[in-house]
Amino acid sequence: MAVDAARDGVRSRAPARERLRAGGRISRAARYLFFGAVLGYFCIPMAAVLIYSFATRWTANVLPDGYTLDWWQATVSNPRIQSAFSTSMALATLTAFIDIAVVVPAAYWSRVRNARIRHVIEVAAAVPFALPYVVIAFGLMQFSGVVAPQFQGTFVLLVAGHAAIAFPFVYWAVDGAMAAAGIERLSETAEACGASPMQIVRLVVIPNISSGLVTGGLLSFAASFGEFAMAQIIGRGLDTVPLWSAEMIRSYSDTAGSYNRLAVVTLLTFAVLFVLSAVVVYWNRGQTVRLLPGAGASDEGGRR
Amino acid sequence: MATLSRPYAKLGGLESAGGSASPSPIARMRGWLAAWLPAIPLLLLVSTCLIAPVLVLIWQSFTSMGETGLSLDLWFKVLGQHANQDAILTSLVLAASCATVTLIIGAPLSWMISRMLRGSRAFWLGLLNVAANFGGIGLAFAYMATIGSVGMLTLIVQGLGINFEAPREGSLPALLMAYEYTNVPLFVLLTIPAMAILRDDWWEAAQTAAATRLVFWRRIGGPILAPFLAAGWLLIFTWTLGIYGIAYGLAGQSGATAVHLITLQIGSALQSDVLLGPGRAAILAVVLMAFATTSLVLYRIILRRAMRWL
Repeated sequence: MAVDAARDGVRSRAPARERLRAGGRISRAARYLFFGAVLGYFCIPMAAVLIYSFATRWTANVLPDGYTLDWWQATVSNPRIQSAFSTSMALATLTAFIDIAVVVPAAYWSRVRNARIRHVIEVAAAVPFALPYVVIAFGLMQFSGVVAPQFQGTFVLLVAGHAAIAFPFVYWAVDGAMAAAGIERLSETAEACGASPMQIVRLVVIPNISSGLVTGGLLSFAASFGEFAMAQIIGRGLDTVPLWSAEMIRSYSDTAGSYNRLAVVTLLTFAVLFVLSAVVVYWNRGQTVRLLPGAGASDEGGRR
Repeated sequence: MATLSRPYAKLGGLESAGGSASPSPIARMRGWLAAWLPAIPLLLLVSTCLIAPVLVLIWQSFTSMGETGLSLDLWFKVLGQHANQDAILTSLVLAASCATVTLIIGAPLSWMISRMLRGSRAFWLGLLNVAANFGGIGLAFAYMATIGSVGMLTLIVQGLGINFEAPREGSLPALLMAYEYTNVPLFVLLTIPAMAILRDDWWEAAQTAAATRLVFWRRIGGPILAPFLAAGWLLIFTWTLGIYGIAYGLAGQSGATAVHLITLQIGSALQSDVLLGPGRAAILAVVLMAFATTSLVLYRIILRRAMRWL
């Protein structure tokens, strides 16, 4: 299929030699078809959810029987949903700040001082990279049951768990930014000028890695905001947006409008994630690739 | 170590250990602290919330039912149960087919996007980035609203007079379709950097040597990209094994009739069975861990081989 891929190309200007990406008329049509299908696959579900959130009743016809703004109004003013949103926001914000606070000093020190820190971090980062969050969450539940049972089911434990699974995002972003800024030289120069370590971090390191901080912070925020498995397993009794959604999707009673409200909440969640992604993409113009969960591992293969 | 800034290196007990007299324990301690102190908060977080939980699970899976000492009893019991065997097999089949479908769609997509002009490239990367971050219950619901039993597409197709029945929400095809929504974007975003390795000059050179497109892809393009695509396949396979939210949203509600997956079995063992549940879930979690670790190791080996071309 890679062959077909090559045949479909972009914009041939009929040069002397056939270009690798050039294609004939048929392959161009095939390419448009392919991209159209992919676009549809990604956009139609969102459209369906959007229509659902405005629909009065939608079980028989191609389009809903009628449209209403009631679901939006009811959902936005529902105190339980409001509290779920504020819990999720607080959870995600704390996760992002804790991750930045613990990762930046460690990443900085691993670059200027003790390279062994890097090896330890990389081993640790492989855990949430490879292991399912269900497994980590379950292990954390068992471990906290042994060590600190009073924390089970609390917000604190969930924040710690989210900070632990989201830290690689921050680490990869921050470490990449440090490499790009050449932080070793900068801090050496600052030292030569007589700056204290705190001054170096505050005046030299942080201003130079701001893009990494923003990116890492937003990615860990997003990871925590949409996280479901860990919230369900160790956050019993809490009410986050994914937990609320799970309850709604399971209580199938369409007449009560739970699906319509779920549609509204799904769109709101999606809007949050969309804004975050947009900021990340804008901030790193064209370099989205480095930010992905695979980045640390694929850096070896992917950095050019 | 070459990058160490000099004043610090002098302070550090670890790096400058070659001194004449062996340092006193206190000085050693101070040196150790100087070398590790800023990393300690992170190391604490990571060891209590990632490393220790994993070790506890492995330990628990071998100490069955409150007995003292190690035993494999529970392992035989859990792995002997039909539902669990079924779950392991289904999870593997689902992950492998998901990864394969992702490869078939994602590889050409990734190649074409890598050769796009800047504007459309940015558009597609943005779209994929958003889709890659969408998941969990929201995605399960979006799937149901689209091709669930009363989803939009289902209704449209039925409205055209075609007798069409959407795959049941808890069935494998349904899970596969929903999973691809995040898998394809992840795969594309991961493999796009590798696509830049294949230089356009090589195609020109091959043409000079009278190679056709087919020959070029079979002899040059394919072999160079194959390790990266294989690595992407392995990652998607690993991640698909561990997906929980989407599966819970789609399959969870049909209860006993839904597919068995390892992750779902872990979740339900925790919720239903207070006494045996944790032990059973621990074993399934260790099984999942073993699969994930194996494929991550393979992934690293493959990537290292792929590096030859960089």
